[in-house]
Amino acid sequence: MTPVLVIARLTVREAVRRKLVAVFLLITVAMVSLSGWGFYRLSHSRTITSGEVRLALPQALILFMFMFSFVVALSASAIASPAVSAEVESGVLQTIVTRPVRRSQVILGKWLGLAFLVAGYSFAVSALEMAVVDRVSGFLPPDPVAAALYLFAEGAVLLTLVLLISTRLSALATGVVGVAFFGSAWLAGVVGALGSTFHISALRTVGSVARYVLPTDGLWHGAIYYLEPSTFIAQRVADVTGSGGNPFFAVTPPSWQYLVWAALWFLAVLGAGLVSFERREL
Amino acid sequence: MSPTSSAEQPAAVAGLVPVPPARNSLPGPVAAGAGGSSPKSPAVHTIELRKQYRRTVALEGISMTVGRGEVFGFLGPNGAGKTTAVKLLLGLVHPTGGEAMVLGAPAGDVETRRRIGYLPELFRFQAWLSAREVLLLHCRLLGLPKPRWAPSVDGALATVGLSERGRDKVGAFSKGMQQRLGLGVALLGEPELVVLDEPTSALDPVGRHQVREVIKGLRERGTTVFLNTHLLEEVEHVCDRVAVIDRGRTIATGTLAELVGHQSSVRLQVTGLGEHWWHRFGGFGRWTPEGDWLLVEAIQPAQVPELVSAIVGLGGQVAAVMPEHKSLEDRFLELLAAP
Repeated sequence: MTPVLVIARLTVREAVRRKLVAVFLLITVAMVSLSGWGFYRLSHSRTITSGEVRLALPQALILFMFMFSFVVALSASAIASPAVSAEVESGVLQTIVTRPVRRSQVILGKWLGLAFLVAGYSFAVSALEMAVVDRVSGFLPPDPVAAALYLFAEGAVLLTLVLLISTRLSALATGVVGVAFFGSAWLAGVVGALGSTFHISALRTVGSVARYVLPTDGLWHGAIYYLEPSTFIAQRVADVTGSGGNPFFAVTPPSWQYLVWAALWFLAVLGAGLVSFERREL
Repeated sequence: MSPTSSAEQPAAVAGLVPVPPARNSLPGPVAAGAGGSSPKSPAVHTIELRKQYRRTVALEGISMTVGRGEVFGFLGPNGAGKTTAVKLLLGLVHPTGGEAMVLGAPAGDVETRRRIGYLPELFRFQAWLSAREVLLLHCRLLGLPKPRWAPSVDGALATVGLSERGRDKVGAFSKGMQQRLGLGVALLGEPELVVLDEPTSALDPVGRHQVREVIKGLRERGTTVFLNTHLLEEVEHVCDRVAVIDRGRTIATGTLAELVGHQSSVRLQVTGLGEHWWHRFGGFGRWTPEGDWLLVEAIQPAQVPELVSAIVGLGGQVAAVMPEHKSLEDRFLELLAAP
């Protein structure tokens, strides 16, 4: 087993041993059960028409998935923030980096382990939620796999940024910065959407720039797009007042240019994390 | 006897085993830059190794050579720069000057670390792993073949007296037990060089004794041990050679005998010496009259009969001769007090 895989395995094992995985499973099952009850009531309601139900189901699923995306992002930030800094402070990493292991392998191993956890959660929660919604309401998004993939990508991007910061700042400071970045990027996305609706170029620019500075919101909109049936998109586009400034709506998927940018952003930040830890005095 | 104290001899506290400050006067040939691991290359060789953190100079310039198979004591007061030097040798921090070669390769070389065992001064293992799992993790990181894992782990646990606690979580270990486990981890893979940074700081007397026995066992196996400590007793018990550092510089280096054994003191009860006798008395180290007693320091033991003869020759009567051997602690304090 290569050192990268040894470190990755250790990272995953820690999450299991510290009951992180068990806690997430319990919370997820509870939240999905709750959402199942809600979707059942919504789809079987006699106070709204079937057309309104068809419009409401995707929107409700997007809202639930937003909650899960929030959990993914916060979890990515929470588990990555102590990954390097706390282990340097406690002296755990000093026992590892003095082995025949490159520091870059330590960071890559930690990233791989943490990304595996984020991916596991993203795909598990997406599969569970969509299966339950499909079962109780008969609604299945057009591309659940792509939506889950974008959910994971959003978490992976934040995880990579937090890991970079963790090579220099304390765990507490890193966690705060990670959450603040994520919240700011999401808010900037809302501001940008409002700018588009009300034709305020300055606000629109804020949204566009923020999506490039931290691609979490841009990728989240990719997840939104693949949760929306084409009829839902067509109806919302037709209803200008209904979709204007709505942060839970996407007319198009992210462009391939944007995805290339996100990939480059990821590689640059991961590379910066490797260099930063390589140069850090332990 | 005159109360005069002699100033004939220089305060030669640092003169026993001189430490040349210049890089070109260092002992020991080294194939600088050699990436290989020639068995003839010293285990550790540094030339004016320096570390500065912004305005703070942690190491002024350490020069030393540790031969293969030696138990080398790295001695100094708190804050002298010992741990910084160790971290430089392991590649945990980067030097701002000088050179360091470890097992024939530049300090911090990744592959060479396979042949080094290291017990840090301040460390912690994963609290959620058992002692066996920690050792297995390090077997994997070392790249040991799988068939060697179980015997290596069992051997390490037995050596440090943790065989009965191998399946217990490290989080439940006392500080002393963690230190024992740290030593066990450092011994995995039969390293050629074992670097121990204050290995007994958390141990009780029994544990300290065990660590000394482990170090002696390593010496018998031909393993080089670099022992960073401020415990003089530890050094006296196990070290073949010692370097003393203070304020980031090597101030003395040599064998224990060289450091403390060449010279000693002798106290003589002398009466009958005439006035100004000291004008005709010299060549016997530093001397200080103390009433009827004469304390002669920095004298070779073989010179004592000659000293007695000289005193008798000056008309003195020697009623008692009491040799006083200098301890490492005395010598250590002398070295640190030197300007």
